[in-house]
Amino acid sequence: MAASRVSPPPQWADDLSPIAAADWSFDRAAHLLERAGFGGTPEDIARLVAMTPQDAVAALVDYHTIANDHLPAFERSDVWDSSLRDFPVSRVAATERAEKTGEAMGVRVKPAGERRLQPVVDRFFYWLRATVLETRRLAYWWADRMVATNRPLQEKMTLFWHGHFATGEEKIRDYRKMEQQLALFHRQATGSFRELLINVARDPAMLAYLDAAQNVKGAPNENFAREVMELFTMGVGNYTEQDIREAARAFTGWIDDDLAFKLDAAKHDDGQKTFLGRSGNFDGVDILAIILEQKVTAEFIAGKIYRFFVREDLSPALQAKLGAILRDSDYQVGPLLRTLFLSRDFYSAPSFGTRIKGPIELVASTYRKLGVKRLPGIPDLHVVSRELGQVLLNPPTVAGWAQGRAWITPGLLLARGNFARDVLFPDIINFTDPNFNPGREVKRVNDRILAGMEIAVATIEDAPSEGGGMAGGMTGGEQTMANVIAGAEDFNTRYGSLVGWQEAMRRVKPIPRAAAQLDLAAMVLAAGAKTSPDAVDHLLMRLLRVPVDAEVRQVLIDVLERDLGTRDLALATTYLERPLRLLAHLIMSTPQYQLC
Amino acid sequence: MPRSSRFGGIARRDLLRLGFGSLALGASGNLERSPFWSQAAAKTANEGRILVVVELSGGNDGLNTVVPYGDDAYYRARPRIGIKRERLRKLDQHFGFQSTMAGFERLYKDGHLAIVHGVGYDQPSFSHFASMAYWQTAAPNRGELYGWLGRAADVMDPEGHANYIVNIDTQQSLAVRSRVHVPLVFDDPQKFTRTGFAEEAAALKTIAGRGQAENEAQAFMFGVSRSALDAEQLVRDAWAKYRTPVDYGLVRFGLERVAALIAADFPTRIYYVAYRNNAFDTHVYQSDVHARLWTYTSDHIAAFIRDVARLGRGKDVVLMAFSEFGRRVKENTSRGTDHGTAGPAFVIGEPVHGGQYGKMPSLTDLDDGNLKYTTDYRRVYATLARTWMGHRDTEGLLRGNFEPLPLINA
Repeated sequence: MAASRVSPPPQWADDLSPIAAADWSFDRAAHLLERAGFGGTPEDIARLVAMTPQDAVAALVDYHTIANDHLPAFERSDVWDSSLRDFPVSRVAATERAEKTGEAMGVRVKPAGERRLQPVVDRFFYWLRATVLETRRLAYWWADRMVATNRPLQEKMTLFWHGHFATGEEKIRDYRKMEQQLALFHRQATGSFRELLINVARDPAMLAYLDAAQNVKGAPNENFAREVMELFTMGVGNYTEQDIREAARAFTGWIDDDLAFKLDAAKHDDGQKTFLGRSGNFDGVDILAIILEQKVTAEFIAGKIYRFFVREDLSPALQAKLGAILRDSDYQVGPLLRTLFLSRDFYSAPSFGTRIKGPIELVASTYRKLGVKRLPGIPDLHVVSRELGQVLLNPPTVAGWAQGRAWITPGLLLARGNFARDVLFPDIINFTDPNFNPGREVKRVNDRILAGMEIAVATIEDAPSEGGGMAGGMTGGEQTMANVIAGAEDFNTRYGSLVGWQEAMRRVKPIPRAAAQLDLAAMVLAAGAKTSPDAVDHLLMRLLRVPVDAEVRQVLIDVLERDLGTRDLALATTYLERPLRLLAHLIMSTPQYQLC
Repeated sequence: MPRSSRFGGIARRDLLRLGFGSLALGASGNLERSPFWSQAAAKTANEGRILVVVELSGGNDGLNTVVPYGDDAYYRARPRIGIKRERLRKLDQHFGFQSTMAGFERLYKDGHLAIVHGVGYDQPSFSHFASMAYWQTAAPNRGELYGWLGRAADVMDPEGHANYIVNIDTQQSLAVRSRVHVPLVFDDPQKFTRTGFAEEAAALKTIAGRGQAENEAQAFMFGVSRSALDAEQLVRDAWAKYRTPVDYGLVRFGLERVAALIAADFPTRIYYVAYRNNAFDTHVYQSDVHARLWTYTSDHIAAFIRDVARLGRGKDVVLMAFSEFGRRVKENTSRGTDHGTAGPAFVIGEPVHGGQYGKMPSLTDLDDGNLKYTTDYRRVYATLARTWMGHRDTEGLLRGNFEPLPLINA
């Protein structure tokens, strides 16, 4: 096979010294590109092979000088205005505010008439839907960068930090805060963890996510103080519950003021605190500084970076070494990454082809390996992400995503094969834009309203007229009932949900819906393939980092040959594409394809 | 084990196919170093016992489920949606199920249904997403990578035998996410399959089942890949063979599929089933909707309990049903209810001592309009994990000492 491998010596494991120029090969460059980025075409890999290992690693780590101007900035939809500041935490809070002040979210209560609060409720649901849809656009924009960027490590580290400082739009309900946090991760992807930590602690998305507003002098909320130690810096077992309480006091009054950080002095507890054995008049920055002084912090972060980029097993001795590297550079992440990517350990057998790709890595690397330059709109990223189990900007909890084996179940493995098919054989006939689908219930209410039903009747879960009477309108009895209800209620949330969806869908810019344009035939022929085994070997080399055995290779050759009706590609050039796509689908359905 | 073994005539190879083989090939070296692995809590004695967890998503209105009709405060807070005394299925002088819950009433009268009143936790979240995650991880107000059932399975079966956990859903629930185990997740047994064109079908089978593992990650991937083929087939076979005279009601949200696997002698010890789509989120005109939801839920659960008894496994099955929060005491202006705090949890099955446990929260001494919980939900979890499943270190599992409730025969 084209990508035959030479096993590295066993003593390379745990050895952080750099590999030599003579050790450099196609497979190792391919390994580097998979891990430090999202893989690439054979041409991308060849460019790295032509360099020294040092230059290849530098081309990934020192990305600031690499042009990336072709990436578009995120183009916001016109969905937000300042009346949405301090968005109510719930519909109840929205209507209570409106009742109290006569207005909420820039919308006034009707002076008289039916459903006086309805416009307020409509407005509430509008933003709820708009920020959800805009977050999907933001995730699409980000995943497109992963596919299109010339600085793949920047995106990979951004993905790492997103999983580390996990924050989700579902709770904070403001895509703008997510956008701003994402920009922070992009900016400081390989920079100083010290600065990043302080910035995250003051980041409006994080402050909102971990209930900063509830953390006030005299009644501290420990959510952030706990997570900052347990998940973001030290790990359990390195501090006490008392340390958490004291740290929470130091962070009191740190709040998000729309998109800015604000210190609310009146709510800040500036008293004496004792934290990790030190006493003083600490504020949040002091607490973070003390945390960063702990040896365990550098080891915790370095170990987590190692597990993400290299492999899951990490000896305490190696972790201590990695921690020392991070501490010695005052928490600059770049030098640690450079050491890792050059190390013999990174290319040792236990590190090679042992990472289970996360869903987003699978998606981005699939397109990059196929030479697709921009993220296609079909299949839909959000639907694929949900099916594969990793929705960007909505991690399951503040702990982020469990890596490794947790990505895989039998069903999820099948779903990965189905994703590959959707890429290679996009089903445009059955495609409908999921962002235009508000769900069955809203659709049903919509249909009824459009058919002329009263709001009260249209929003009853199963309208009495359903199953025959719908088209014919309502009976007098129902009409009367509807009027009774309408006269009694101040608003109708189902109707508000419908109006909110319609308005959000109207204002949120659509995601371009085009399928990937692929030319596997051109790729295979350009690589000089003459026979069906050549074609199989080319696609195996292009797609897999873990080889298949001879029997599987033969099965693939047989399938291709049967489909082509010949072994000779020259005879089949005019109809080569579809058989090659079938072949690619088979290769992407192997367990090997899930590993890198 | 009280169950009748049907394995007598089955060759070992077939047992492996059924999922008794380990997926965590050669992984034990890892486990011993893992913080999740506790030697003291290893193998449990309660083999053969099955736990079924039913998630009622959306926030069930507990006050209109187990109605405190003996308390006038209930009717004062709910003048329009309060359920009248005469329309209840009364349990005693104070509580009654709403009228559509005939299935639950039968279970209660038979002594197989325990109601735990006022279940919740400190500093409650009113977000579906956050509160459900807290329930699913048994970690309120904090982040946790793995689910409480996944973590329990990692300790009870550190070798990670295949199909130990089954999750009936389109997505894997956080509750069953495990470090060692690979939960079997499926929704429609007919559609639990890879999509492929006719000309690929044979090859798809061959390539998925093949591979010489050079390391643990590969062994794991190849193992799941093989078991995906097997599991797909096993589930479809179990479903095709399954016949029951029991009526599972109008909304069959998954327990009939659990029964099919139990009937097929799946080695599964933990089943997780969700009533989906946030169905219990009854903000508007809730009376009819909520009554219907409980028709479906109570019919479906009661049918399942009857069905496992029919299969001779009644003594091996305990089911727990919960929702991520209850709802506010006062009805809202749309004749519905908004997100609240504590609610009842239900523990059901032949091994259960039926009755009422915990203390009903006051309807007048409220926290900003919300019930003050009286029983931490992790006490319910401790009961299921320790008393029922034989997990010896529930303190480690739940990160705290939560006393089991005396509602199951140990």
